[in-house]
Amino acid sequence: MRSKLVVPVTSAFFLLAALAHLGFFDWQRLARGFRNLGILGSEMIPPDMGILPTAGAALWETVEMSFAGTLLGFLAALPLSIFGTRRLFSSWVAHIARFVAAGIRTIPVLLWAIAFVILFGLGPLAGTFGIAAYTVGYLAKIYADLFEGTDPEILEAVGSTGASRLQLVRFVFLPEGANAILTQLLFMLEYNIRASSILGFVGAGGLGFVMQVYLQTLEYRRLASVLLLILVVVLAMDGLSAWVRKRFLLSAQ
Amino acid sequence: MKANGKEPVAVQADQVWFSYRNHDWVLKNISLSIPPGKHTVIMGPSGSGKTTLLRILAGITEPGKGHVAVFGQSTYELEPRELSSLVGYIPQQLGLVRNLTALENVLMGSLGRLFDAKTLLGLFPRAESERAREALDMMGIAHKAAEPVFCLSGGERQRVAIARTLLQHPRVVLADEFASDLDLALASEILARIRRAAERENITFIMNMHRIGLARQFGDEVLALRDGEIVPGFIGNEILETPQAEARQ
Repeated sequence: MRSKLVVPVTSAFFLLAALAHLGFFDWQRLARGFRNLGILGSEMIPPDMGILPTAGAALWETVEMSFAGTLLGFLAALPLSIFGTRRLFSSWVAHIARFVAAGIRTIPVLLWAIAFVILFGLGPLAGTFGIAAYTVGYLAKIYADLFEGTDPEILEAVGSTGASRLQLVRFVFLPEGANAILTQLLFMLEYNIRASSILGFVGAGGLGFVMQVYLQTLEYRRLASVLLLILVVVLAMDGLSAWVRKRFLLSAQ
Repeated sequence: MKANGKEPVAVQADQVWFSYRNHDWVLKNISLSIPPGKHTVIMGPSGSGKTTLLRILAGITEPGKGHVAVFGQSTYELEPRELSSLVGYIPQQLGLVRNLTALENVLMGSLGRLFDAKTLLGLFPRAESERAREALDMMGIAHKAAEPVFCLSGGERQRVAIARTLLQHPRVVLADEFASDLDLALASEILARIRRAAERENITFIMNMHRIGLARQFGDEVLALRDGEIVPGFIGNEILETPQAEARQ
């Protein structure tokens, strides 16, 4: 009985210690923060819809960057994840592929965007490459793990027909993993739309630049309009994902 | 191929031993000789080593000691494509790709013969497609060719797995616990179809099974395993008289 309590009690203790260290028990500061939140909220209402033409163009650029970056990243992630599958390649090949994916994933999307701004200059091209790079690192890891989990009986059965490695990828790994591949791709697209809206902060194009200007000039009603636009796009993406899942995902298993 | 210069042999195992851990032998000194065109059923209670023996005969698992040959060639020394022209293997859960159609699954039996990029796009030669449809027809499910496997019943999936192996054109087919999950009438019908197809194609069939009635219907010979050893002088359902086996019957 006593041993069962060790983990929850220790976890609770560390949680309280961390919260105290982070200032969660500084009541005066918290109260001041909530007061400021109220002021900020009141300054954002009503949203200024007059900026819609400007913000709409930037939003469209953000959507373009997300879509192109996600698909480019997906196309690069697929072969990398296949090389990272120990069932297909020797352990050292798989290790190298997984190491490359981990290295790419370690760098946050914002840093990738800065790197590509340095390489290609300001604008959405840098943002698109930044999104593609992060997508490669993330999807390559997810897909390699997915392929590793393919039912060994199917591999043995199809392998015993004399199928080559490439044929196994085409006829076993991809169709068996199709549902998860599509689901993860849609998730990545949603994530990238949210992520790419801040890439403009570092000059990588899209809505982030507009947001940064409104933040710096304290034009919170205009900022509220931009946030509403992002919300609309994210909701539209949710709807699109639901439709794609319903239309294309197979009810296997 | 002649064994000892006398009888032709399809599958030969000589003093095969196997263990997953040292000194814990799953198979002990198995020797067997199966003539071409015969249907052999391997029976035995759970844990007796049936699946391991089948995998070793199929060249999937290498024996710890001993030697296995199919039509005179060591199975685990052959390249996968060479082996595929000799041996077809159907695992217990059939190994079908659930998101592909019955026809696409059957066409996979031809992959060992096809090297071109068109195949990777899912474009198979017309002759292979026709033979795949014939194989499905032979199994009585040509009308299900376009159905994804996950929509098929257990019996239909078993037929697809057999059709895939028929398209492979192996000389020996090894099937693990085939038809074991089906009701008796359906299992009997499927086994009768397999027998007709195997006789037509002159295929040697080796199958693990735990139903004595079906084993007698299908098998020309019945081999019994107990604790990793072949039971000499095996008689009828004696081998299945264990609590586990009775529970499954």
